[in-house]
Amino acid sequence: MKKRGLRFYTKIYFKIIAQDIKSKMSYRADFIISTIGMIFTNISGFVSFWILFRNFPSINGWSYHEMLFLYGFSLVSITPVQCLFDNNWSLRQQVYTGDFIKYCFRPINLFFYYQSEVFDIKGLGQLAFGIGTMAYSWSKLDIGFSAFMLLKLIVFLITASLIMIALQNAAAATCFWIQNSFYVLDLAFKFKDYAKYPITIFSPVFRFIFTFVIPIAFIAYYPSYVVLRPDEVPLLSWLSPLVGVVFFIISYKIWMRGALKYNGTGS
Amino acid sequence: MKLKKYLSFTRAGIIEEMQFRASFIIMVVGNLLYLIIVYFLWKAIYASSGSEVVNGMTFEDTLIYLVLATALFNFLDLYVVWQIGRDIQSGKIVLDLCKPIEYRKYIFWSYSGSFVTHFFLTFLPTFIVVSAVTHGAIPLGINLLFFMFSVVMAISINYSIDFFVGTICLYTQSIWGINIMKQVIVLLLSGATIPLAFFPEPLKSIMYYLPFQSIYNAPLSILLDGDPSVETLLTTLGTQLFWTVAMLVISKLFWKASVKQITVNGG
Repeated sequence: MKKRGLRFYTKIYFKIIAQDIKSKMSYRADFIISTIGMIFTNISGFVSFWILFRNFPSINGWSYHEMLFLYGFSLVSITPVQCLFDNNWSLRQQVYTGDFIKYCFRPINLFFYYQSEVFDIKGLGQLAFGIGTMAYSWSKLDIGFSAFMLLKLIVFLITASLIMIALQNAAAATCFWIQNSFYVLDLAFKFKDYAKYPITIFSPVFRFIFTFVIPIAFIAYYPSYVVLRPDEVPLLSWLSPLVGVVFFIISYKIWMRGALKYNGTGS
Repeated sequence: MKLKKYLSFTRAGIIEEMQFRASFIIMVVGNLLYLIIVYFLWKAIYASSGSEVVNGMTFEDTLIYLVLATALFNFLDLYVVWQIGRDIQSGKIVLDLCKPIEYRKYIFWSYSGSFVTHFFLTFLPTFIVVSAVTHGAIPLGINLLFFMFSVVMAISINYSIDFFVGTICLYTQSIWGINIMKQVIVLLLSGATIPLAFFPEPLKSIMYYLPFQSIYNAPLSILLDGDPSVETLLTTLGTQLFWTVAMLVISKLFWKASVKQITVNGG
């Protein structure tokens, strides 16, 4: 099979998601309610944050607005997994019922085709919310603004988003080996809620775990240093793009390994 | 005689629950992780507040409250709305409506087995560990009896709310959005994620007028108060009783008015 270029995949990607968006639009009430549900989730997350931290000028050396920036950063960096990789949630059903076999016969990359089939528009509300939070806290912080900072922010946001994508891919792929992967996936999904706090609040043991074993510190904490405190960026922050890419590749390998050993259900 | 009929559902539920041991282990791991985060987060909050007591609660109080709230959550939240929604979408609800038992009761009793298993497998062990670790910070006396009453009412209110929300699915056919909205509202306004004492003033008073605080805040405050005044006790339990009856009536009437709405696509 000849190798297909990026152009081919981009073109086909938009064709596939266009179908998905069309089919979602036909259930209009469901779409509207789901969007409102998503907005509710974000508002309640924000209210909880506000109730917890409004009384304290700083937590562990992190000011209120710095914490808010971290919060916004984590919201934006978990948006790609919400929007682009939502089909991971139905993987276990497809594997269980045998429907997954249809993906194995397509002449394009299996992982690519499976993930491109669903685009979750609701995630865009979260993106807007995250950007708003970041913009607000940035304006309150005395850190200035430059095109270079913005560029750094975008690069680090994209690579940070790979961590959550990797965790979800790996968690979803467990269904190729165990029957019910919902709980694994749900557990991995909850990590996103823990990413918004500065890692320094933990004891050294858990700091190590959340940096190297379950790398949630790379979702918001390490990458946001680059913008928040450019003068004291720890080495791990500069490594965070690399960590994102490496974890993504590992998760891709695990996912593909499971998918390629899949034999269908025989029906 | 009549109860015996229902208890066979409970038995079936317990047996069914025992089949899913792997998911149970993952749930425990997830909870432990959540509690670790909660522990360090609140420790940091108390450290930066500079005083032992914040909003009338010490660090130990807050932690005990939140640990038990999590345990209570695992035992109360049984995804009933998902079940009703799925029944509606798949059309299975038609068969259930033909059964010689009220649909409301049918769902409740088929979940009662999960209440029993979750009580013994999550709430009780958590309670024992917490009271052993904190050396009697949880008073063990008559309050346990009141707590039992309170939890039974909490189960009822929670179920009525779930059933009410499930009924909305008859109109909207949307499960995810409705369910996520309910979950977010209940978790925030019931005091399950942040103790009520931490909420700012107008919000706190409003919350006492809503049914949600009767689900988590009421039983937990009864449990943790070793020497309650008769007045507090009566107010708390009375409010709960009011909401138990009110929500029961509302959800029953709403169901009765809505059940004619069912449209099931031929199968």
